[in-house]
Amino acid sequence: MNKPFSPASTYDVLRQHGIDRRDFLQFCITTAAAMGLDAAMVPQVVSAMETKPRIPVIWLHGLECTCCSESFIRSSHPIAQDIVLNMISLDYDDTLQAAAGFQVEEIRQKLIKEHPGGYLLAVEGNAPTADGGVYCTVGGNTFLNVLMETAEHAKAIIAWGSCASNGCVQAARPNPTGAKPIHELISGKPIINVPGCPPIAEVMTGVLTYILTFDELPELDRIGRPKMFYGQRIHDKCYRRAFFDAGQFVEAWDDEGARKGWCLYKMGCRGPTTYNSCSNMKWNGGVSFPIGSGHGCIGCSEANFWDNGPFYQRLSSVVVPGIEATPDKIGAVLGVATAIGVGAHLTATVAHRLSRKPITDKDQPTADKTEQE
Amino acid sequence: MANVVRLFDPKQLEGHPEKFFRQAYIWELPVRLTHWVTGISIIVLFLTGLYIGHPILAPAGEPANHFVMGRVREVHFAAALIFIVSFLFRIYWFWVGNNYARSGFPYIWRAAWWREVVGEVIEYLKLRRGRAYLGHNALGGASYTFFIVLLGWFEIFTGLALYSEVNPGGPLDRLFGWVIPLIGGSYKTHMYHHLVAWAFPVFVLMHVYVVLYDAVTLGNGLVGSMISGHKFYQREDVQDDK
Ligand code: HEM
Ligand code: SF4
Ligand code: SF4
Repeated sequence: MNKPFSPASTYDVLRQHGIDRRDFLQFCITTAAAMGLDAAMVPQVVSAMETKPRIPVIWLHGLECTCCSESFIRSSHPIAQDIVLNMISLDYDDTLQAAAGFQVEEIRQKLIKEHPGGYLLAVEGNAPTADGGVYCTVGGNTFLNVLMETAEHAKAIIAWGSCASNGCVQAARPNPTGAKPIHELISGKPIINVPGCPPIAEVMTGVLTYILTFDELPELDRIGRPKMFYGQRIHDKCYRRAFFDAGQFVEAWDDEGARKGWCLYKMGCRGPTTYNSCSNMKWNGGVSFPIGSGHGCIGCSEANFWDNGPFYQRLSSVVVPGIEATPDKIGAVLGVATAIGVGAHLTATVAHRLSRKPITDKDQPTADKTEQE
Repeated sequence: MANVVRLFDPKQLEGHPEKFFRQAYIWELPVRLTHWVTGISIIVLFLTGLYIGHPILAPAGEPANHFVMGRVREVHFAAALIFIVSFLFRIYWFWVGNNYARSGFPYIWRAAWWREVVGEVIEYLKLRRGRAYLGHNALGGASYTFFIVLLGWFEIFTGLALYSEVNPGGPLDRLFGWVIPLIGGSYKTHMYHHLVAWAFPVFVLMHVYVVLYDAVTLGNGLVGSMISGHKFYQREDVQDDK
């Protein structure tokens, strides 16, 4: 780990680590491109990296699996591991840090005191709120307390991954620990949601680069996600889209369509309902992404994606009070029930009519009054 | 009296129809037009919608030569546009049309309205004829309000929100995009749009049956009235109409 509170810029630190200028510029250009910035903006990114002191970051881990950290340290660029870890001054990260125990907690306290309003809070995971938050404790304190305490003086909060931004698996129904995403716990602070289980490494570095370069959060959508990475659905940039429009769908994992690379819609692909960059940026340095390997998207960056299973079905269960079934099952039952009702009424009416007394001219109008009583 | 059903018997008309029936112009052209346009577009929307949820045709060959799913979606969106225009026009006509264009309005805050609705349900269950109204009766009005207006709005809002997803940040997104996080994400919005779609065949079944039932038991030319605009009525019937 670097010395805490290093005033050095990212570039200074990279040079110390033996990274040459060419690699550094390459990183700036790739990242700017990933953020969708105009080529003319690249010098601004470069100069920010060269001159701006790195932002102190406190990186908290709550209820989570550390897949975001795993993704982050596997950024695709050959020297990315150095870059991402040096881009920010990662002053506290209980998973990556060498120090342990009370020492670590002291560092956190000290950081908060020394940089009030000046540090970024990166949160991986979320906080269980049931029973006073006892289902996740750090150093004898509930994570809920740690989070609140650290958030209070943060400049802005980055919610890494689906856990922090929308709850993920631990908040799936019935959510026994009352796990809540960060934006439901903290208000009055700028919060950026970077969902995904995990988010793509380049998305994470892109977000950090943007904040470092422009000193503000990137443009966010309605639910707090950076538009540049979550602005479009997987489906709208998927290379199998032509098969979707044509109506050519894989029907079984080993059928002819699967071999020909047809659309995975009927195998439950969540691409049409998922906002992420997988279909254009891909994973592991652009090697592939799930759909490229013949597996549908499971919608890992969408809220409630665990509750939208089974993953291999196009239509999942919907829950209306008391019932849980696919829309078509509920609908068909309602339709058949109505048809039976109508049929029964019709049969009863015909039977009744056949057995009725003949109506005469005389009792037609007056019968109204007596019958309505 | 228990066994007497007040079914209309055409034989009564023989010789002196005017004794029983008068004729009135009830449904103005916009009402009749929006009725059929809405009905047909709902049927198209339901069928294409189910297809979108479960596409079954599988054309062989190169994708460049086919546009099956794409075409079905296009038809769904075209029908949706027609449905919305017709729906909005009918709402406009609610305000400017004749009194019958406003009939059937659900006065859910009035006890009298509830008594009326429950009373009509009971009459149907007892296999009697429904009460005759010149406009919509209260039960009919309640069902149109719930199925077509309320659930129609739901399908329009969720449908337009889903439609806006192809152009994030565009005008439709700005107008309707908020629906998606409100319902809990794009996938859930699809599921509820799909679920509520089933309310429409349920409604059509009941609607067609009750209309035919009333047409037969009241003998007031109910079916034809949505084509010609004219209904027949007996003098006593008018007292029921509010
Ligand atoms: C009576 C009205 C309607 C009915 C019964 C209906 C029915 C359906 C159904 C069953 C689906 C399939 C849902 C799924 O499985 O994903 C669907 C999809 C859709 N509907 Fe509708 N719909 C109606 C009105 C509308 C309206 C007014 C719009 C507005 C543009 C609309 C736009 C859409 C869109 C965008 C989709 C998704 C298509 C896709 O995923 O490719 N619908 N509709
Ligand atoms: S594979 Fe998935 S994302 Fe790609 S076109 Fe088909 S449904 Fe859309
Ligand atoms: S393709 Fe879908 S499930 Fe897979 S990582 Fe991307 S968003 Fe998550």
